[in-house]
Amino acid sequence: MKQIESIGGQDLKDMFAAATNWLEKSAQDIDALNVFPVPDGDCGTNMLLTMRSSIEEASRAPDQNISQVAQAMAKGALMGARGNSGVILSQIWRGLAQSLNEKETINGHELAQALLQASEMAYKGLSNPVEGTILTVMREAASAAQKQVAKGNGNVISVLEATVDAANESVANTPNLLPVLREAGVVDAGGQGLFTLLEGALLYLRGDVELMQFRKPRVIASSIPVTAHPIQMAAEEEAFGYCTEFLLKGENLDLDKLRKKLQSKGQSLIVVGDESTVRVHIHTLDPGNVVHYITSLGTMHKVSIRNMDEQHEDFLAMQKGRMPAVDMAIVAVVAGDGLADVFTSLGASAIVPGGQTMNPSTKDILQAVEAVPSDKIIILPNNKNIVPTAQQVESLTDKSIEVVPTESVPQGAAALLAFDYEADFETNAKLMTEAKSGIKTIEITRATRSTRLNGLAIKKKQAIGLLDGHLLAVNDEPDDVLSELLARIDLDKAEVITIYYGDDTDEAEAERVSTGIREQHPNLQVEVVSGGQPHYNYIVSIE
Amino acid sequence: MTVKIITDSTSDITSNLAQELGITVVPLTVSFGHEHFLDRVEMTTDDFYRRLTTEDIFPTTTQPPPGAFVDVYNELVKETDEILVIVISGKLSGTYQSATNARDILKGKCRIEVIDSLSTAMGLGLIVIAAAKIARSGASLDGVIDEVSKRIPRSQPVMSFDTLKYLAKGGRIGRAAGLLGSLLSFKPVLTIRDGEVAPLKRFRSVAASMDYLYNFVAGFTKIEELAVEHATTPDNADKLVERLSAIYPKERIYRSTVSPVLGTYMGPNVLAVSVLEAEGK
Repeated sequence: MKQIESIGGQDLKDMFAAATNWLEKSAQDIDALNVFPVPDGDCGTNMLLTMRSSIEEASRAPDQNISQVAQAMAKGALMGARGNSGVILSQIWRGLAQSLNEKETINGHELAQALLQASEMAYKGLSNPVEGTILTVMREAASAAQKQVAKGNGNVISVLEATVDAANESVANTPNLLPVLREAGVVDAGGQGLFTLLEGALLYLRGDVELMQFRKPRVIASSIPVTAHPIQMAAEEEAFGYCTEFLLKGENLDLDKLRKKLQSKGQSLIVVGDESTVRVHIHTLDPGNVVHYITSLGTMHKVSIRNMDEQHEDFLAMQKGRMPAVDMAIVAVVAGDGLADVFTSLGASAIVPGGQTMNPSTKDILQAVEAVPSDKIIILPNNKNIVPTAQQVESLTDKSIEVVPTESVPQGAAALLAFDYEADFETNAKLMTEAKSGIKTIEITRATRSTRLNGLAIKKKQAIGLLDGHLLAVNDEPDDVLSELLARIDLDKAEVITIYYGDDTDEAEAERVSTGIREQHPNLQVEVVSGGQPHYNYIVSIE
Repeated sequence: MTVKIITDSTSDITSNLAQELGITVVPLTVSFGHEHFLDRVEMTTDDFYRRLTTEDIFPTTTQPPPGAFVDVYNELVKETDEILVIVISGKLSGTYQSATNARDILKGKCRIEVIDSLSTAMGLGLIVIAAAKIARSGASLDGVIDEVSKRIPRSQPVMSFDTLKYLAKGGRIGRAAGLLGSLLSFKPVLTIRDGEVAPLKRFRSVAASMDYLYNFVAGFTKIEELAVEHATTPDNADKLVERLSAIYPKERIYRSTVSPVLGTYMGPNVLAVSVLEAEGK
């Protein structure tokens, strides 16, 4: 069997670059491991994007010793951390990098030590660590590495093999530790993601490159090209480059070829038209390159190249007048144009697009924080999975940061409204945190798959209702689910109900729902607002 | 001779109280189209809100003409040689200008000083009440000015609004402009800061904003004067006074209504509490 006594920085980078590609092949399968049949936090995709950022940074390491590379990878993971699992992954990298500090290369013993420190760091990063998750998998894997070293098998491959085997078992065991996993009949998605990464690293190190190319961590057998195509994320596209639009006129234009060629040159690509006239829209860092290519095919018309950074700055300048106070600003994470408008109208200085199905990265939030012209920033994550991502920002900026850990849009709106115009930064963070506790949140969405949960039999595409994050009702129509959940709340104590209807729900239907509530509870003030949020028919605030 | 105290009608000092404390109130004017009414004199708060909420005409207001002050000065000169005029913030009204112009017209028949209170409503009213009490105790004009100057920064009105529509339409929104345009409804709570309207908080319900008014008062350890005033909701004002009576003697709480001139900007359903904090916390 192959034996490797030590690995250096280049090895570390290569094995995790390969592991990231390995993870990519099963990212969607891991996403599907949602415990809840709601469009959940995209665990696999989040881990993949976090690793991409890590690998990208690795190539910028000033030196190729393992210490420098690991540090660069930790930095990359931190900046690109998305979602809860991404943040934990970034903690793991932080622990690894600390342990590898000032080392040129490492042997199996040192690898085991680094894994142990990574596990400890992962636990430290969470105020309330839960077993049966990626944390447990990391801990048990690290512990197996230690045992392997103690047995005297100190070469890198044997240590990593023991680690991967233990991770495998640990993932399989997660349903025994977490009742929600057991009930849904799935393993923990984050744990699965970590296992896949470790397995990928091992396969690469063992030289099973061919196997990695032609096989897949789980289902689907196909060879995905090693150069990864970027996953398009609205939040990331908007922040840089030039929005380039034009008409191309020519003869026998091949749209497919054109699309393929342009895909490598930018993002948000749209190519429509016929063989004589094609309309193109692309966000690119190098419009010159695009123009050069296009003019070789025909003539360009109605050319528009706009600097998106400037557009962004103009937008911010416009927002400045709305800010609640000159030295303080609020950055909020919300999905949907309507909700973005609501939060802006209540005084949020910057909106980071994101929510349940699209967790923004630490970098996305950091960019918004840096862009607003205030030194004291309050962040409203408005989603449980985004809270840890937001909390990472503090260590990355010179600005003072307070994260008010809002877990839903209604909590965020209540926190924003609680802003005291004469109180200082810390007091405001406190007031806003207190305000979110008086709010009840109902969310109505469609089940993404059939399952049983909390004793409810749920069929795919049925309407399901969550009260403060707990799935409590299921029915065919969203209205019925909403009524059922409202009936569970003591509405005599409530004063205001706000219904934010989603992008695929009509206003008339929302109005009908609100009329029903008003008839039953004449003392309540009921407001209907277009939230425009994806996936959720209704988000309802009860205060 | 006792120093005479003059104020304007936006101080929301009732005629009974003015009489009792020897305060002269100069009215501003509120107009519905071509109909003009002297604030609090020719139009009561109730009449004003009845018209505001039933008619399409949007009322306007004007400061008292200097002549109104000249008349009052001439009347008071018969009884005193020292007059102190305390008026609404110069950033909200030109009343201060009228009062000083009138003084210059009189050319030193009597010593008259005009002070910009940087406030209005009972925020101004409580300063005036304190000044009248000090003047009656026999203080000189300089003595009263000294005491008033100390109280101006210690007096604060806190007002729960139902809507910002009237404040915005009337051009007095000041620093609360950022509150406009919200897609969610809320009850704004405002104050007067450095002479202009400034935002404090936003609440989703009247009950929550009333809690805030109570808590605002409860936050003071020493209160010299306290006032509660309303526009169209006497019941809410009663409730607030009842709650406040647990922490401050009920009989010492001044009750009033928002004057028609202020009502033009505050709109219906406003509830306000003003505190004049005592010296030495």
